[in-house]
Amino acid sequence: MDTLQHLLAGFGVALTPSNLLVAAFGGLTGTIVGMLPGLGPINGVAILMPLAFALKLPPETALILLAAVYMGCEFGGRISSILLNVPGDAGAIMTALDGHPMAKNGQAGVALSLSAWSSFVGSLVATVGIVLFAPLLARWALAFGPAEYFALMCFAFACITGLMGDAPMKAALAAVIGLSLSTIGLDSNSGVYRFTGDNLHLSDGIQFIVVVIGVFSISEILLMLEQHHANTGIIKITGRSLFNLKELMFTGWTTLRSAVMGFVVGVLPGAGATIASAMAYSTEKRLAGASGTFGQGDIRGLAAPEAANNASAAGSFVPMLTLGVPGSGTTAVMVGALSLYNITPGPALFTQNPALVWGLIASLFIANVMLLFINIPLVGVFTRVLRLPNWALVPGILAISAVGVFSVHATTFDLMLMSTFGVVGYLLRKQGVPMAPLILGFVLGDMMEQNLRRALSITNGELGILIESPICKGLWVGALLMVAVPPLLRLLANRRQPVAV
Amino acid sequence: MSDRILGAVCVAVGAGMALAARGYVAPISYEPVGPNSFPMLMAALMAAAGVWLIVKPGLRGAVMTRAQLMPFAMSVLAVFVYAGLFETLGFTVATTVMAVPVGMAFGGGWKKSLLGGISIGLLFYLLFDKLLDVVLPTGVLSFIFGGR
Repeated sequence: MDTLQHLLAGFGVALTPSNLLVAAFGGLTGTIVGMLPGLGPINGVAILMPLAFALKLPPETALILLAAVYMGCEFGGRISSILLNVPGDAGAIMTALDGHPMAKNGQAGVALSLSAWSSFVGSLVATVGIVLFAPLLARWALAFGPAEYFALMCFAFACITGLMGDAPMKAALAAVIGLSLSTIGLDSNSGVYRFTGDNLHLSDGIQFIVVVIGVFSISEILLMLEQHHANTGIIKITGRSLFNLKELMFTGWTTLRSAVMGFVVGVLPGAGATIASAMAYSTEKRLAGASGTFGQGDIRGLAAPEAANNASAAGSFVPMLTLGVPGSGTTAVMVGALSLYNITPGPALFTQNPALVWGLIASLFIANVMLLFINIPLVGVFTRVLRLPNWALVPGILAISAVGVFSVHATTFDLMLMSTFGVVGYLLRKQGVPMAPLILGFVLGDMMEQNLRRALSITNGELGILIESPICKGLWVGALLMVAVPPLLRLLANRRQPVAV
Repeated sequence: MSDRILGAVCVAVGAGMALAARGYVAPISYEPVGPNSFPMLMAALMAAAGVWLIVKPGLRGAVMTRAQLMPFAMSVLAVFVYAGLFETLGFTVATTVMAVPVGMAFGGGWKKSLLGGISIGLLFYLLFDKLLDVVLPTGVLSFIFGGR
């Protein structure tokens, strides 16, 4: 019953006028950002984070804004998937498979409204999941010592490298780059300046915002140059604009199953909306068997990935809030945002700063309802934004990015550094190095080093402490499995069907 | 760029890091793990990843076509010029200067891009500086907007 009380108090925080306004604004912005091909939740959160800080929003309001943007993106991605056949963000790739054929069959209105509903159910199920499981996990995590934390972070890196697709070595490299960047600046334990090259601007370390905007905004723009296409093929919304009861009942179980699956995948560090929606889609396709018309406009094929990607987005808040170890690139950016306020997420946050944690959780419920009501009637307005030409949009994004970076320290040095990170990030991404592990590394770097040093101080340098406790052992075994199992599975799958697409 | 080049760069960066980190010794040490251990570990991992990429390169790396090179170079240059002149020229003028090449790289004509740049520069200045209290440099337009 403790949880219920906290949740009610959280609603007290989330229902203040300013927080409601921020949630609505975030949801709206998020839907637009998610809808625009090329820009995903991580870009949206990265671009808005410095502004939230510059506007001197209190930490819980800033977090509510970013969370609403994140949820909004998962709603918005489906619009361009359905109408353009171009996924608005990575989580909406599977949505295009059945959503676009539906739109071509004159059922765009049904597809849009039904997918908004499944997105809503997905987020709702996952938010209930947060309420049920996050406090338990936080209580358990309170027993973690430095050695356990170090092992936990290694586990998180193992997850993100093992699950991040086809180039685990490049994901690992990205994490190492991020961790290395985090060592720049003054070492607080010893007073030694590391990798600063006697540059005063670097003595404090590199600003988190500079890295995030560089690799997610500037490099994204450079990548957009190669793939920019006129958004001319937008399908006109015809037919019924709302799904009927029969369609709702028909997809009910699919949506629920996919939501639960998405939540579980989202809680795992590293596995994000992309994996969740792909898993949900293939599961439902298998369950439907011969009765399904998956790929030609089956409404179950539309509901499943949308429920799953929203659920996994909400699920990724669990490791971030309870362990302080973010589960996705986007939540890593949020951890960085909290560090601007000198708040370190972790199990202690639930007891020390309940207003922040429960305010955020309550606002997830509220933002979700808002998003449903924004998304069903306003879809026509959003499609008009899709027609916004890139020559006006991109300079606007660049300007907002620069304002965000400039607002922190007001130095030209930071802006130049941002541009450099943009170009380096572009080169790395062109070479297939993912950026999410880099950000995770940069965010966790200091915590990881501190915990390692603290753990080894306890035993005076004896490495055994890192694998001594049962929790540590479990985490290390989990990490090994995460790295070893996906390649093995891929090998097996390749052997079974040699001409896989 | 191919994976081999990326690998070689990683090995070089790792070596450079290790070289620099050797000197990071605390004047008075009271913990078994000093300030240079973690950077050394990272340098080793960086070099190891580099060696892996040299031995087992995956991607050949896409080559940019000539048609793509021009807009790309223009945009990169514009981003750096924007960063460098942001304070001196002020937000509004710098944004306009940036928006012309970037807008053209994204398929707008120079007139449209210029107009877009001026509108973004003015609109965002009013929105952020005047309405939202995020102070932006006014630079060469300080005689109109005040500030610096």
